[in-house]
Amino acid sequence: MTTLITKTITKICLPLVILFSISLLLAGHNNPGGGFIGGVLFASVIALTYVAYGLDYIKSFFDPDWGNWFGFGLLLASVTAFGAIAFSHNFFRSAVEFVHLPFFGEIELVSAGLFDIGVYFVVIGGLLSIFKNVGDDK
Amino acid sequence: MDSFTAITLAVFLPFILAGILPAVEKLLKDKIGWYASAVAFLSLLLVAQAAPEIIHGGTIQKSIEWIPSLGINFSFYVDGLSVMFGFIVSGIGVIIMSYSNGYMSKKEDLPRYYQQLLFFMGSMLGMVFSANTIQLFIFWELTSITSFMLIGYWRNRPMSVYGATKSLLITATGGLFMLAGFLVLHAITGTFDIPTIMHSESIKEILHGHDLFLAALILIFIGAASKSAQGPFYIWLPNAMEAPTPVSAFLHSATMVKAGIYLIARIHPIFSGTEAWFILVSGIGIFTMLLAGFLAFRQTDIKGILAYSTISQLAYLMTMYGYTTHHEPGIGVAAATFHLLNHATFKACLFLVAGIVAHETATRDITKMGGLRKEMPITFIVAVIGALSMAGIPPLNGFLSKEMFYESSVEMGHLLGGPWSILIPALAVLGGVFTFAYSIKLIDGIFLGKRPSKGLPDHIHDPSMIMLAPAIFLAGLIILFGLVPSIPVHYFVGPTVSGILLEETHLHVKLWHGITTPLIMTIVTFALGILTYTQYSKIADWQDRFNARFPWISVNYYYDATVENAKNITSKFSNRMQPGPVKNYVVALLLLFIAMFAIPVILLASSLVPHNLNFDVPLYESIIFLFMIVSALGAALLPRYIPAIISLSGLGYLVALLFIYLQAPDLALTQVLVETLSTIIFLLAIVKIPQKFREHVPSTTLVRDLLISVTIAAIIFIMLINATPGIVPPFESLSHYFVEKSLSLAGGHNIVNVIIVDFRGYDTLGEISVLCLAAFGVYNLINSRGDDE
Repeated sequence: MTTLITKTITKICLPLVILFSISLLLAGHNNPGGGFIGGVLFASVIALTYVAYGLDYIKSFFDPDWGNWFGFGLLLASVTAFGAIAFSHNFFRSAVEFVHLPFFGEIELVSAGLFDIGVYFVVIGGLLSIFKNVGDDK
Repeated sequence: MDSFTAITLAVFLPFILAGILPAVEKLLKDKIGWYASAVAFLSLLLVAQAAPEIIHGGTIQKSIEWIPSLGINFSFYVDGLSVMFGFIVSGIGVIIMSYSNGYMSKKEDLPRYYQQLLFFMGSMLGMVFSANTIQLFIFWELTSITSFMLIGYWRNRPMSVYGATKSLLITATGGLFMLAGFLVLHAITGTFDIPTIMHSESIKEILHGHDLFLAALILIFIGAASKSAQGPFYIWLPNAMEAPTPVSAFLHSATMVKAGIYLIARIHPIFSGTEAWFILVSGIGIFTMLLAGFLAFRQTDIKGILAYSTISQLAYLMTMYGYTTHHEPGIGVAAATFHLLNHATFKACLFLVAGIVAHETATRDITKMGGLRKEMPITFIVAVIGALSMAGIPPLNGFLSKEMFYESSVEMGHLLGGPWSILIPALAVLGGVFTFAYSIKLIDGIFLGKRPSKGLPDHIHDPSMIMLAPAIFLAGLIILFGLVPSIPVHYFVGPTVSGILLEETHLHVKLWHGITTPLIMTIVTFALGILTYTQYSKIADWQDRFNARFPWISVNYYYDATVENAKNITSKFSNRMQPGPVKNYVVALLLLFIAMFAIPVILLASSLVPHNLNFDVPLYESIIFLFMIVSALGAALLPRYIPAIISLSGLGYLVALLFIYLQAPDLALTQVLVETLSTIIFLLAIVKIPQKFREHVPSTTLVRDLLISVTIAAIIFIMLINATPGIVPPFESLSHYFVEKSLSLAGGHNIVNVIIVDFRGYDTLGEISVLCLAAFGVYNLINSRGDDE
């Protein structure tokens, strides 16, 4: 798998794909995309990097604990869900707010978006920690 | 801050602050215990915030809707009983976590230890303030789980694991019985809210006359008895002593084991005043009191003696709460409540002493100790105060509540009349005699007599103030409560008793009443106690011989046999069900799928053939289909791995193309990405799989696999062709609703996404939890595989 072509393409794709995954995540509420798709995209490109360069090589300089990622994501998602209770609403009640920012114009802030970010992190963390564990297995 | 907010914070702050404890540990290093003590202290202050209203006879209840459709609310009820428990839990919590700073070695896994202690404290606080039975059950089981983790703190010691498992099996199962009891109670009364039942005479009348009254009482009582180690359930508590000593002091003497007592006190206004209550609660109580007090003689481990003594003391409390008649529902309530408070002080104190002694001498075997009074004078004094209070010597607080115990026993016996008027006080005195004997044994065995010539370290000394101060503080409380009983009675016992009896009560406890029946009983207790103590070792020897001769007369014998059998049966079952190769499971799964669908397909065969099939497929689609068939055949037939995998992913991409053509961009995106990821995983896995692809497959297997695949394909085909023409008549399409409401209710244009994160957000939360669990599962599978080999 570790041919020069794969490596070069992976290297070029990596930042673009990550940006695209973030844009998918943020666009999700109104356009195709969302936390799940964005997360799978992110996980795929990291997984591709692992395959192209070899797990051990990547781990020598970039070795995050993906377990923390899905932990954080699950926490964020649960906090969003329970957060509604703190504001005396029902569990999972979502809120929409429109904010006007300079340069960006009208921005829609949705509490469900926060939940989606949680999903994003869970998908990334879950998939990559499975991937890494299976890949690490001797 | 209003009291409801204060209590809510007192319950949830320990959880939240324990959550960030690992981060704080990075800053504080091995001083992290002080952080935990500070959290406990914060909870103590928050509980105290609610106290003034309670002392003046008020109660607070506030609810937030949780599952309104089932009548389950998130609800706190603050009365004297819950506040007293709140004080005990958070107060002893402060003491224990401070003490742990000296007790726990710096090499231990401190964050885990303190985190679990705080989780426990939060659960316990949540439990005592719960007004709703379901909420109470949840916190109740949380205390069982945290107790399980803390008993098994030293994971590599087999006895810790054994003790932890035993406690979980018994207390969590008991909790399930309790839940069943609550459901029966709900079926009778129609509510989950305890105060509602408590304060309504009409509901109580219905309950007392109901056929299921006894069932509800017995089920709930099983929960209480298993948690408080009463009756046959006592066996888990001695094994729980494998936990670090501060944990034993906190959970297994002062707080968690009192949860059962708490429950009994909480449901006292609902169930008491009936014969069943007296027979069940006092009956089991007296039985346990005598049995555990007697069995304490055999113990040589100082924590073992304390464990049996705790069981016996809890049984005192049960007995007293059980004293009831139709006209006087709460004869022993005041005595029990006062003794509960006193027991928390002297028993925690004695456990701390046991911890100090074990820490300094590196043994817990009382037969190897003796004469330590000279080397540890301060510890000695503290231990004497604790043990004499337990033995009921004036002027310590244990004396006062034991007098009250005798008094209520005499009264109960008198009200029952006949032989009971002698029998009940006599049994109470017998329990007191045992208590007296083992209390003296603790002092005599550890501190008095001669120092053994070998087996102890050369230099033993009092520990640092970190460990000593909490014990001294408790000893101070013991003396204070004994000399000035009006303080605890006014602030804690009085409001609690009012809370249980639901009426204003004015208690007066004095050290000297004059020559009364209880005082004579106390003197008899001391005389018999001293007499028994002279025979202490003989009794212990007799118990050892008895146990060796009749091993089957013990609950432990049956517990071990049951667990052993269960293990054998389940491992046989799983060996049969899971012989090994994954292929077998897949075949079994698919066959089950076929079997499940075969029945409806055969039954509905005539109606399953659609009448007007539309074979008019557009050219574009038919080309995609053609390619799909080709790639599917490629995946199945290509002789080498990589081409087969690429062929398979080609199929997936073609499906994505079809989605785009059918205007489902979200589906298409997901399909592409999942396909990509799974291809990458395949490529990764390919390196590890032995490279003999499609060799040596017998033709019978091929035929079998082919048959299964074709059948599955046929089923899917039938399903799809029946699903596509439209929606089956009685149901309406859901999509209209989402199309209409997605923007107005959730503010999103992308319906698919809005469904995922908003309309069906709860499902998504479940799904991502499953993903996390799967990741954990893979991690554990891969990392634990080495252990067995």
